[in-house]
Amino acid sequence: MNRSDLILAALFLVFGVHLVVSASYLPAGAGRVPGPGFFPQTVGMVVLLLAAVLLTQALRGRSTAEFIIENHIAIGGAIGLTALFLLLWGTGFFALRTLVFLTLFLRFLGEQWRQSLTVSAVLTVAVVGAFQYGLRVSLE
Amino acid sequence: MTADLLEGLMAVLQLKVLAFLAVGVMLGAIFGSLPGLTATMGVAVLTPLTFWVSAEQGLAMLLGIYCGAIPAGGIPAILINVPGTPASIATTWDGYPLSQRGSAGLALGINALLSAVGQLTSIFFLAVAAFPIARFALRFGPAEYFGLALFGISLMASVSGERVVKGMLAGMLGLALVTVGLDPMTAYPRYTFGWPEFLDGISFVPVMIGLFGLAEVLVQISERHGKIEDAPKALGRIWPRIEQWKRMVPSMFTGAGIGTFVGAVPAAGGDIGSVIAWEQARRLSRDKENFGKGSIEGLAASCAGCNSAIGGAMTTMLTLGIPGDAVSAVLIGALLIHGIQPGPLLFRDHRSFVFSLVFLMAFAALLMMIIGLLGARPLARALRIPNPWLWAGIVLFGTVGSYAMNNAVVDVWVMFVAGVVGFLLRKADVPLGPLVLGLILGPMMESNLRRALILSRGDWLGMLESPILLFFLLATAASLILPFVKKKRSSSP
Repeated sequence: MNRSDLILAALFLVFGVHLVVSASYLPAGAGRVPGPGFFPQTVGMVVLLLAAVLLTQALRGRSTAEFIIENHIAIGGAIGLTALFLLLWGTGFFALRTLVFLTLFLRFLGEQWRQSLTVSAVLTVAVVGAFQYGLRVSLE
Repeated sequence: MTADLLEGLMAVLQLKVLAFLAVGVMLGAIFGSLPGLTATMGVAVLTPLTFWVSAEQGLAMLLGIYCGAIPAGGIPAILINVPGTPASIATTWDGYPLSQRGSAGLALGINALLSAVGQLTSIFFLAVAAFPIARFALRFGPAEYFGLALFGISLMASVSGERVVKGMLAGMLGLALVTVGLDPMTAYPRYTFGWPEFLDGISFVPVMIGLFGLAEVLVQISERHGKIEDAPKALGRIWPRIEQWKRMVPSMFTGAGIGTFVGAVPAAGGDIGSVIAWEQARRLSRDKENFGKGSIEGLAASCAGCNSAIGGAMTTMLTLGIPGDAVSAVLIGALLIHGIQPGPLLFRDHRSFVFSLVFLMAFAALLMMIIGLLGARPLARALRIPNPWLWAGIVLFGTVGSYAMNNAVVDVWVMFVAGVVGFLLRKADVPLGPLVLGLILGPMMESNLRRALILSRGDWLGMLESPILLFFLLATAASLILPFVKKKRSSSP
């Protein structure tokens, strides 16, 4: 039995059921002419079928690979910091927020403080220069 | 035709367009030569920058990145045995042993020259074959387009190797995502969850940036192991001698021919093209034993093979609207931003623009050849940039680029969610290519299927009167069944 494929199949089964059920609330169309619910419902049914095949394969132990994530702390840090950076979008100075975000991002990846600060400053200047001054995109 | 050709050339021969092309090629050279950055990532992350310029200028830059990154991917493949882009996997097999023998310069020279030959051959194919293909495709109606889209997605799943079911599920996920927004035929809102931002559907480019930018960065962080080895300091002679040219010519043409053909097959890009080209050149060579040990014939075949896939992929993308590889999938998004719909009508209504694209690609190939020959040394030095610096840059430019397209924070979140989901899918061994194809072909598939059903008054069997649709359905079935048959055969004693 392959656990990661089993979980993946279960997730797709839930997704397929959601698609089929939610599409049934959309107009089905008039007569034999398909409406807005037709395509998502069809896709949902194919997802269910394929997820069932994947489930069978996982139960039989047939798998292409195991789900392994190494460097949890770096990955968690990268995702968490990026999410925080996005949550704070529109608050305060963009350049300052970006500088802090990048410095912490690089620190999480094992870079030294001085290098992190220098690289972050260069990247911040580059992105502000290109988008805010070059393309006139308001980043604040 | 000649007037269109000249008009296309004149549109390209403008200082601004050529400047954008040069910048694109240089960026492509950097993206390709740094392991960790790929051509797809480069085109996806930098597409938002082209939003503010004309179609010719924007596409000049993006095509420059595409045509620059693929040959540049051979540089780290030769110097440190790490392919810069997936397309240059086969380049490591002979390029790295050559470099180890002290002929790094020669390997880099062959990479620059043969990549240009491969690209120019396939661009010639694009110029010659695309118009007849597009003329044929003009006969397609809704039923045929539905069949074509279905075939495209099935093919992508079938080249997912052992992961056919996972590939198909990823394709379905892409198809499900395109149902978000207003229904294309009745304008009825679907899956918007009350968010007006989703009425226009999920923006394509932020999803691409997430899948090929953020997800790739996360995958690389999770698989980070130690330091890559240093590139050799002395490169030696770069230009091949005449007798070496003579030995390389058959492999060069084998590689260019196979690469162009494989590139034209939807979803089979330069990585597959170069491997098949290398294997075929090995079979035809008198010096088979030397392949994989530093053979210049092997290197010639792989370089020509992976680069000629570009023209093939662009032919399929421009004539039928179906991407030949991941980069051309992202390029479709860029074309749509500029109001250009790839497909046969492009060849009827915008002939000169098609020729502009052909000239842009040809100029990019020549420019990259010069950069490859003269700039091999500085590009080799660029290999010393630490990966975390690149990752930080990709995340930042991807985030700001996603926002800048519509000044919408929701696009940044779409990019982030696509990146995290893409990362988890990659770790679960689900290929992302079919997902992208589902996103691109979904609207074409849905609206054409529904139109075809309206025309046939809901009669599914009535649709089968079209021989072209029948052909696509049979081809779809074959592409889905063949991998299982092959697997069964290889597992049976």
